[in-house]
Amino acid sequence: MTVSTQPRRGGGYLERPAPSGLADVIEVILDKGIVIDAYVRVSLVGIEILTIDARIVIASVDTYLRFAEATNRLDLYEKGGKDLTEAVGDLAEGGAKKKTSGAIQGVKHAITGGDDDDEDDQERRRPAKKTTSRRRRTEDA
Amino acid sequence: MTAELGCYVYGVVGSTAAAPDTLPEGVGGTAVERVALDEVAALVSDVPLERPPGRRRDVLAHSAVLDAWAQRGPVVPVRFGSVLEDRDAVVPELLGPRYDDFVALLDDLAGRGQFTVRARYHEPVVLAEVVRENPEIERLREATRDAPEEAVYPEKVRLGELVAQAMEAKRQADAATLLDLVVPHVAAHVVHEGAGVDHLLEAAFLVDDDRRNRFEDALESVAEAMHERAAVRLLGPLAPYDFVAGE
Repeated sequence: MTVSTQPRRGGGYLERPAPSGLADVIEVILDKGIVIDAYVRVSLVGIEILTIDARIVIASVDTYLRFAEATNRLDLYEKGGKDLTEAVGDLAEGGAKKKTSGAIQGVKHAITGGDDDDEDDQERRRPAKKTTSRRRRTEDA
Repeated sequence: MTAELGCYVYGVVGSTAAAPDTLPEGVGGTAVERVALDEVAALVSDVPLERPPGRRRDVLAHSAVLDAWAQRGPVVPVRFGSVLEDRDAVVPELLGPRYDDFVALLDDLAGRGQFTVRARYHEPVVLAEVVRENPEIERLREATRDAPEEAVYPEKVRLGELVAQAMEAKRQADAATLLDLVVPHVAAHVVHEGAGVDHLLEAAFLVDDDRRNRFEDALESVAEAMHERAAVRLLGPLAPYDFVAGE
């Protein structure tokens, strides 16, 4: 994916990221492609399991609690005191807080984290910095 | 020092297909080469086995090699992490036994590319819809909002369950809308299982080169129509990871 995906006539709502981030690539290639009778088959270190976990946990009590918390926090949005972007930031921040109920989002962010080639701490990265700092700023404002 | 080497296999291409202008490095910084049998060839490189591939840069290298070749012509991706004993094994163990399959697959994939679409809800927006549309959810929300979790645990779980169900119903409707608009422009598609609570749709599309503009235009209109409620991302063109036989 190093090769051009030439951006088309721009200005659209469709996001066209250069798919060089680990999360995108993992989602695209995981369990894909023909299976051959291999001499050695290596697996993704750590990543595969995390991704599968994220898929399984959806219909769990933890997920329900996370939904409930996110729903409980909707008041900011409903009062109309903030614009949509701010409300989104607040809610997302609140929904992903420390407890198990934020585990899924945590996993997604861990997989997403950073495009640099620092390989050994990839599994437990903190949430993508850009998003997080924007959310924090909104909350502090 | 003689490190034990294995023959890492990325995929299969035509043996006389034009190579990419820029050849990405393979796994572990190795050079990717072709091992051919008549019309087909495996893309391979020698990798050390005492530190097997499987890390971030290996994953990126695997996909970079395949996607670069896919820009130039058909390629059949092999699953990540497949290593043969050595190059001498490529023809007798891979290309020979499945030669006809590879020829047919490459022929079928010519002039087509894969695009992967990922649509995710803006969760608070859709949650607000769910609350407005469902009195029981609104009631439980009020009942649990300011209470400590221990005191209203069953209600919270019930609330979350109802919200999850309501989100699922929306997801099915919205995903169907998206697919209805896009699928007429593609040769094939595969819908993936979701990952994440804001999941709306993740799907791979095999698109003929000469219909790509129509496909992208259709998706752009979908993204515009949904933009207040969801974000739609498009990756590609990629190697056709989802459109080769899994076994």
